[in-house]
Amino acid sequence: MASQSSRPMRSSLQVAPLAIQKTDSTNEPYNDNGSDAGSTLASTRRGSTQSEMTSQSENLIDAPPIFHNFLQAVYPFHPEYAMADSAVTLPLKEKDIVLVHSVHTNGWADGTLLKDGTRGWLPTNYCVPYNPEEMRILLGALVNFWDLMRSACIDDREMFDGNKFMKGIVGGVRFLLEHTGCLQKDSSILTRHIELKESRKLINDELRALAQTGRRLDRKLKASHRLLRATEHQINELMHDLILRAFKIVRRAAEFFDMIQNDKSLRLTSVMIMETVMEEEDLTPTTDPAVLARSSDAIDARSRVDSNGSAAGPSPSETSKAPTNGRLSPAYQPSTNANRLSHGNSLEIANRISSATICHRVSLAGPSPLSQAHNLVSERLTKSQDILVSHLACLMGRLQLEFVSRPQLALGVKQAITTGGDFLLVIDVVSARNSLSIETLAPLRAVMYDRIQDLYQTAREVLINNMEDAIVLPKEGRRLHVAAVGCVKLSGTCYDKTKWVIGQIGDFEFEFEDNSLDLGFDLSAFDAVLDAKDTYAADSVSIADSNMSEALTMSTTVTTASTPAPRPANLELNKPLPDVPLVSTPVVETSQEAIEDSASAENTSPVSSLRPSLPPLSKLSTEIPPAQDYSPTSTEGSATQDAEFHSFRAESMTASSSASATTYISRTSESSMVSQTSTRATTPDLTHAPRDRYPSVSELSLSDSTTVSEESDDAESKLLEKTYAHELIFNKEGQVTGGSLPALVERLTTHESTPDAMSVSTFYLTFRLFCTPLKLAEALIDRFNYVGEAPHVAAPVRLRTYNVFKNWMESHWQEETDTEALPVIKNFAESRLKEVLPSAGKRLLDLAEKVVNSDGTLVPRLVSSISKTSTSGSQFIPAETPLPSPNLSRGQVQALANWKAGGVSPSIMDFDALEIVRQITIKQIGLFCSITPTELLGSKWTKNKGVGAPNVKAMSAFTTGLSNLVVDTILQFDEIKKRATAIKHWIKIGSQFLALNNYDGLMAVTCALNDSSIKRLRMTWDSISSRRKETLKSLQAIVEISQNHKALRARLADQVPPCLPYVGMFLTDLTFVDAGNPAKKTTDTGLTVINFDKHMKTAKCIGELQRFQIPYRLTEVPDFQEWLLSQIERAREIEKTDKTPAQVLHYRQSLLLEPKEVQQHLRTQMEVASSGSNMFSWIRNNHSTHGLPTSAQV
Amino acid sequence: MTRYGSQPCREFHIVVLGTGGVGKSCLTAQFVHNEWIESYDPTIEDSYRTHVSVDGRQVILEILDTAGTEQFAMRDLYMKAGQGFLLCFSITSQASLDELATLREEIIRIKDDENIPIVMVGNKADLLDQRAVDRAKAFTISQQWNAPYYEASARTRTNVDEVFVDLCRQMLRRDDSGHDDDDARNGGGYGYGQGKQEDCHGSVKKKRRRKRKGDHKCIIM
Repeated sequence: MASQSSRPMRSSLQVAPLAIQKTDSTNEPYNDNGSDAGSTLASTRRGSTQSEMTSQSENLIDAPPIFHNFLQAVYPFHPEYAMADSAVTLPLKEKDIVLVHSVHTNGWADGTLLKDGTRGWLPTNYCVPYNPEEMRILLGALVNFWDLMRSACIDDREMFDGNKFMKGIVGGVRFLLEHTGCLQKDSSILTRHIELKESRKLINDELRALAQTGRRLDRKLKASHRLLRATEHQINELMHDLILRAFKIVRRAAEFFDMIQNDKSLRLTSVMIMETVMEEEDLTPTTDPAVLARSSDAIDARSRVDSNGSAAGPSPSETSKAPTNGRLSPAYQPSTNANRLSHGNSLEIANRISSATICHRVSLAGPSPLSQAHNLVSERLTKSQDILVSHLACLMGRLQLEFVSRPQLALGVKQAITTGGDFLLVIDVVSARNSLSIETLAPLRAVMYDRIQDLYQTAREVLINNMEDAIVLPKEGRRLHVAAVGCVKLSGTCYDKTKWVIGQIGDFEFEFEDNSLDLGFDLSAFDAVLDAKDTYAADSVSIADSNMSEALTMSTTVTTASTPAPRPANLELNKPLPDVPLVSTPVVETSQEAIEDSASAENTSPVSSLRPSLPPLSKLSTEIPPAQDYSPTSTEGSATQDAEFHSFRAESMTASSSASATTYISRTSESSMVSQTSTRATTPDLTHAPRDRYPSVSELSLSDSTTVSEESDDAESKLLEKTYAHELIFNKEGQVTGGSLPALVERLTTHESTPDAMSVSTFYLTFRLFCTPLKLAEALIDRFNYVGEAPHVAAPVRLRTYNVFKNWMESHWQEETDTEALPVIKNFAESRLKEVLPSAGKRLLDLAEKVVNSDGTLVPRLVSSISKTSTSGSQFIPAETPLPSPNLSRGQVQALANWKAGGVSPSIMDFDALEIVRQITIKQIGLFCSITPTELLGSKWTKNKGVGAPNVKAMSAFTTGLSNLVVDTILQFDEIKKRATAIKHWIKIGSQFLALNNYDGLMAVTCALNDSSIKRLRMTWDSISSRRKETLKSLQAIVEISQNHKALRARLADQVPPCLPYVGMFLTDLTFVDAGNPAKKTTDTGLTVINFDKHMKTAKCIGELQRFQIPYRLTEVPDFQEWLLSQIERAREIEKTDKTPAQVLHYRQSLLLEPKEVQQHLRTQMEVASSGSNMFSWIRNNHSTHGLPTSAQV
Repeated sequence: MTRYGSQPCREFHIVVLGTGGVGKSCLTAQFVHNEWIESYDPTIEDSYRTHVSVDGRQVILEILDTAGTEQFAMRDLYMKAGQGFLLCFSITSQASLDELATLREEIIRIKDDENIPIVMVGNKADLLDQRAVDRAKAFTISQQWNAPYYEASARTRTNVDEVFVDLCRQMLRRDDSGHDDDDARNGGGYGYGQGKQEDCHGSVKKKRRRKRKGDHKCIIM
């Protein structure tokens, strides 16, 4: 049921509204054309995913016809025969811009008019590609936006998180303004041309509206998991709204750009001068209190409308049937106009709304109304059933709530009944078709009617009889629920039957002329309920006032004459392009004309008889709140340096351990601040912040992104922000996966949100791989400077920029590489930073002195500064836990002491496996914990003999040494029995390694036991019990290398430290992250940027390793340690003296102990023996000798 | 003992060997990496598994690459699991070629088989101006070892697939002819490579195919 109702909506978003075929599958117009479509080379459907898009554009580079995303009409095109045609043809006016989805070989393109969002076919020969350099980014952003929205569904909630998708559009507008010299509100080019200024303002308004809609959508998405269908519809509607708004921005921008171009051609030189002048001009933000008051008023009103809207907003299907009579309800006005209109403010505004661009939401929301005009009955049936069911579901959803408000229910019932009438009408139409259908459908229709009547009656009793109660009691609600369920069930049956009948008699077209079936119910009774409560007026007026049945008439002029047979599709697609008009209209007009033209375009815009007039997009001309004026010049504060230093210190600690829940209360803000990331702008200048009527620095920096953007939502100043946002690449989860250095720096120092801890630590850790320290310093300084253009964000951003410097020098400074940046940083600290933030400048200078003099990091990083779960040793094993006492006998201690005194060395076999494992583990974890993240970057440990990674090298050397020791201890014995005992001992040790979660040790031991020189000792292995062998097998399974260490990874995934993972696995992972991911990426706009994803992956691996850099709590026995080391050293010695690899030496030794020939011989003997009887097994002993008895099996 | 034919989809383990810095990880990554996946994550189970079609037969390959862990004495574990070996060196480093001899000995020792499928690869073939290993010299060594020689470049993706496919072909042929290299037979016997054939000497791609007899000969005291 749910899928049925959601399907048409989704598919309509993805498919051109071409109703060409008779069959149900109108989804793929091209496929239906068979071979014709196959040969259409130029017919390129735009892929829905990014990768498809890029691959496509690559293909198109090879192929001569270039696919243009946007076309602009140069001639007007009026499709006279559109009505008779089976496909939608778009009327074009000059300068109309079209977003192209595909181009057919015959020259017709499937596109969406930016003007009103209608989608249809248009002749490409009437158009020229539209892609001016200045508009490029904006147009690119729009394409992305469209793809995103089109592929969006309700489930993709996370996608809208943070409104990132709108940043591209803002960035695009900014790019345009910047490149036309109109970025500053009062740049001279704007002051000279009042039209330009107006136009620019319009763009601003649109941007602001877009942001608002985006936020509303965000809120809806967040709230939607609680509500049912109604919200789903609202969300869809909001999405369509967003797209239309984005279109509008581009249109406005195009108009603006046209004006600029005209102006430029006239006075090219003056613009150049202007741009340079612009730099020096000061900003004078508006501070008119009246304006401020008005705008805040508007915001309030808006939120009120929002809350109403969310209670019971219109669904898209309602929208599609919206009033044709021009009576607009506030519910349909998503933005401030609603407020104004409801106040009955001015006639002029009302006029503007009614004459405004006709918004064609339906073409996005549901099956296109244009295709409806020649709709097939089957489609109509599906649609009406969908609507009916969705209304009923909505009603039932409301009834689930404990207390439901009467007006809401009344509205729901009314909608359901009206749509029920529509549904019945379709059934009637079908049943009137011929006798078969009458017979089948008549009884069903009667029952359906009864059910609807039942619903009506119940609703009447429930709702109207007790009108004084605002709340409907659950008991009554249940009755209504039962009635609604009856309707839903039956509608399904009706649908199936009718569909079947249509299949039998053949689908046909039918123009649903006017009224839907009058069921003879007095729906006005419900209106009374609705009117009873003023609170719900906003919701209900539109429904109550508009005659729903009237709204259903999608076409008013087309007569009921049903066209019997649909035209074949090819006819449409092979249609030749219309001839280009002979008289060419001048393409370039003066700016004045352009405005008039666009204005008239709006007024007269496509009021073809086919178009239902829908509620227009609200004109969003709200006053811009004044920019928050924060002057960063701080007065010399009286705070003591000491106190300042403390707070500063505390912060840096919390910052470095990202998850520690330290609560840091700022002096000016009451809110407790859980430490978030190290770029959090905190503030040596806290006390210097001006406190009077401006927000203090700390407030600004501490306030959450939402509050900043909510309260000082200012499109103007947003636009003024110079941004590199368009140079970033995000993945589906919204993480940055690529970006240019300035863009990444911008993200690191953004004022509106704290970047996630992971990317921050990644940046600090890996920046030397993609840029030089000098370049980073310069980029940061650049960021510090250019943000000055945007006064309301300058303060927090500058603090963050300073903070990045601070963190870098305190915790991530690497002297050998970073010293080159020091002069630049010093210079910056002394001059620019000191001017703006004096004490910050001083602090940075101090740091610059310190990093020169100290060797290590100034503020030690916590062990796990990268991984998300901050860990410290004490967290897992409390320090109070007593250390386990060494498992050593007095004799063993004595033996060690003897050895130390120069006596005989004890054997590994003399010690308990547990204690050996403990002492080895202590040694290993010490080496492991000293591995620094920088050692792991850029495969340092494999290069230059591991000079750059001493600790990794020491670690691997120890593990290898241990492996050698295992082999060595086994091979040192000539007697099989002793060798077997040694193997058994090592298996025990392996088990103990596992018990201590020391996988590195376990790996070393199992590897050694699998060494070719050990593995081949057949006679030795034969004398080991199968139980021990099984143990070894299970140990091997854990460190099994195939399937990419599957078993080991699974264990490590939920392993709690203390644990020593197998380091080699991390090293391989890091090597392959490096080898398998390119260093650069390409953005949609063709810019080559840093592949940040690669560095994120590197950091993730390192973070995972760091998670385990926590010491074990074990007692170290120094003598034992010393002895162990000497043993390992001895095992390594063999190699050094002989210059032959240890393995070779071991193998030789192994061959000496159990020569191949003997084994061969043995084997044959054994085969004989096994084929005979066990009596002969003694032979084996005889043969295997070298005079050694191999009696006792273990 | 002898198996005729094989299952429709065989699975092989290929071990990639060579000293650090010869770019063998790039070679592996290039081969396994599906171009359509935007980023390569080596920490998931399937990171090193891929599907190839060799002469119309479907083969699943799992690549075991010791990259990054060359200093660890863990090679034996890898080698034990391998059925085919890729010996990589860099044409810009003579030392990396010298290292291969040791590795090969190790392979033969561990697999206890002189005829284990091996392909020798001179990587970084795109860095012609830094060439330090003469092609003829490398080729001579490969002939001594009875292994095909390729010069490949992970960067330009030259001969990457060819190298693996050649190895695959060898393994398939060996598999068909009934070689069995189970651990149970470890130390079991020598197979003699006989009747070697030589063919094509391509400009970059030079390979020799080996024809083997599946004889196991046992030497009895």
